[in-house]
Amino acid sequence: MLAVSKISTMAIAIILAGFSLHPAMATESGEMAPEFILPGQSGQEVRLSDFKNKVIYLDFWASWCGPCKQSFTWMNSMQTKYGAQGLQIIAVNLDAKAEDARQFILENSSNFMIAMGTKTSIPATYKIKVMPTSLLIGQGGKVIERHAGFRDDDKSALESSIKQALMHR
Amino acid sequence: MKLVAFAFSGAVLVCTGCTGLKPVQPWEKGNLAKPAMTFETDPLEARFMEHIYSSKESVSGGSGVGGGGCGCN
Amino acid sequence: MPRILGSAILSAAMALPGLIPSAHADSAPESGIISLRYLSYRDKQPGLDRITVSAPSLYILFPVGREWAFSGSRVMDSVSGASSRYHSSISGASRMHDTRQANDFNATRYFERATLSIGAANSTEHDYKSEAVNVTGTVSSEDNNTTWTLGFGNTNDSINPVNNIVVNEKKHTRDYLLGLSQVLTPNDIVQASMTYANGHGYFNDPYKMVDNRPRDRSQSAILAKWNHYLEGDSVLQSSCRYYWDNYGIRGDTLALNWVKPLSNGVTVSPSVRYHTQSAANFYYDPVYDPLLGAPFPLGFLSNPTGFYSPDQRLSAFGAITAGFKISKSMAGGWEADMRADYYQQKSGWRWFAKGSPGLEKLTAIILQLGLSKKF
Repeated sequence: MLAVSKISTMAIAIILAGFSLHPAMATESGEMAPEFILPGQSGQEVRLSDFKNKVIYLDFWASWCGPCKQSFTWMNSMQTKYGAQGLQIIAVNLDAKAEDARQFILENSSNFMIAMGTKTSIPATYKIKVMPTSLLIGQGGKVIERHAGFRDDDKSALESSIKQALMHR
Repeated sequence: MKLVAFAFSGAVLVCTGCTGLKPVQPWEKGNLAKPAMTFETDPLEARFMEHIYSSKESVSGGSGVGGGGCGCN
Repeated sequence: MPRILGSAILSAAMALPGLIPSAHADSAPESGIISLRYLSYRDKQPGLDRITVSAPSLYILFPVGREWAFSGSRVMDSVSGASSRYHSSISGASRMHDTRQANDFNATRYFERATLSIGAANSTEHDYKSEAVNVTGTVSSEDNNTTWTLGFGNTNDSINPVNNIVVNEKKHTRDYLLGLSQVLTPNDIVQASMTYANGHGYFNDPYKMVDNRPRDRSQSAILAKWNHYLEGDSVLQSSCRYYWDNYGIRGDTLALNWVKPLSNGVTVSPSVRYHTQSAANFYYDPVYDPLLGAPFPLGFLSNPTGFYSPDQRLSAFGAITAGFKISKSMAGGWEADMRADYYQQKSGWRWFAKGSPGLEKLTAIILQLGLSKKF
């Protein structure tokens, strides 16, 4: 076992020495969320600044991403629960094939706003690294929190952040 | 089979940024996300096949380390 | 009783971690998996059914939080049949039966864009014991398009053949792996890995007459894989391996696998594989000494190195596998699959090497049934 622990210490050292593991995230908390105007699912315009009086939960998703699908169910319930208190969920689709997105939207009903962001510079501007990625944006357009991925055990923390943002509104 | 060595060096070059391939963005990974596109396979199935080949042929290696031996005849 | 086909252990012959771009690449899988698999293997040479193996196995993957995943597996082999004593000759082959048990355990810690796993494996046959430990680390680039892998393994074997030709012989092997996988385009990902294994100790086959091999063996392999997404939702997986060792064996292996999803969760995948190798420099063809007779090689008494082996696996040959797999995923995280492979080995199918013209062909049929559930 001594050999094993020696080897593992070595491996950890190599990993830690060679690579920086904590990159700085862009569009960090405190920064203004970049403005966008995107087509909505039925052709209407979705403009971020139209919701500056609301708390915005901005989600970037694609039909092929499993956690994105799970987050749809959760976002529906959040929109229902907190919509009246001023929460607006905007889910920006990034599917390469428009048909895939259309099919997904047909199969997964949603009570929040969907915008089509494929082939725009928006995901690059928001420096999306992981699908899905969400940003909680406070009244006035400042990013409160950024979250990568979506897992069952993320739900309660995300919900309490939403509640807190609505309280400070 | 110089091709293999060539492919390997090619991959290294790509990785170190010597070529001009455009990096694939996270939202472009829909096809890459399919299970068949990852290099992960059913572990038991992969082991069975690898085991059979390594006990019937004299060639092994390439896919892992420290698998443990056997007296394979 | 002599053992024939070894354990299906090769524990951490873990495929290099692929990319999971849809989820956190840096956290443990969200669901665990329990998987049962049954293997049936049967091979034969003209006129004789040689070996039958049946091997049920169990695999469990158990994630704990986001940072840890544990996995373990157990395989029980049951082998029966006749062993060949030299070349493909089956005269004097004895009937036998043997069982084997192999276990492995692996713990993986997930960091941001990096993983570190430690594994241990053992295999127990009544005449052959093997214990192995391994460490593998991966690091991915910030965009998750590039993953490096570094691995180290250490294996200790002890050999106690029932014929007592040797007692408590040992074999010690260290192996190293360097791997790189790279996303090239939205439809292409490649992986290249190099392994080097260095072993010292007893490499002979104690049940073969006239078998004496060098006590050092170093093996190198370069494996390149390429997965390509095709329009119509199918994937073509191809790989080639280049191998060389200090026994003088060179080998090339090419494999193609096409994965095609149909409707209702059914996926089919036909596959082909071609392998060819040259003979070890101490392998001898079935040409026997006129004085001593079979199985002694021509010039047995004047061989300067003292190394010789009639093992068919050390000869020059080519081998082709044709396989077909069908799997179905069902509600509740269940998945079932069936796979059949037909394998044939012939000296005439060798590509670049010479020798071994008189060996009988070897044919094997491999069947697998699998059932798994995510939890």
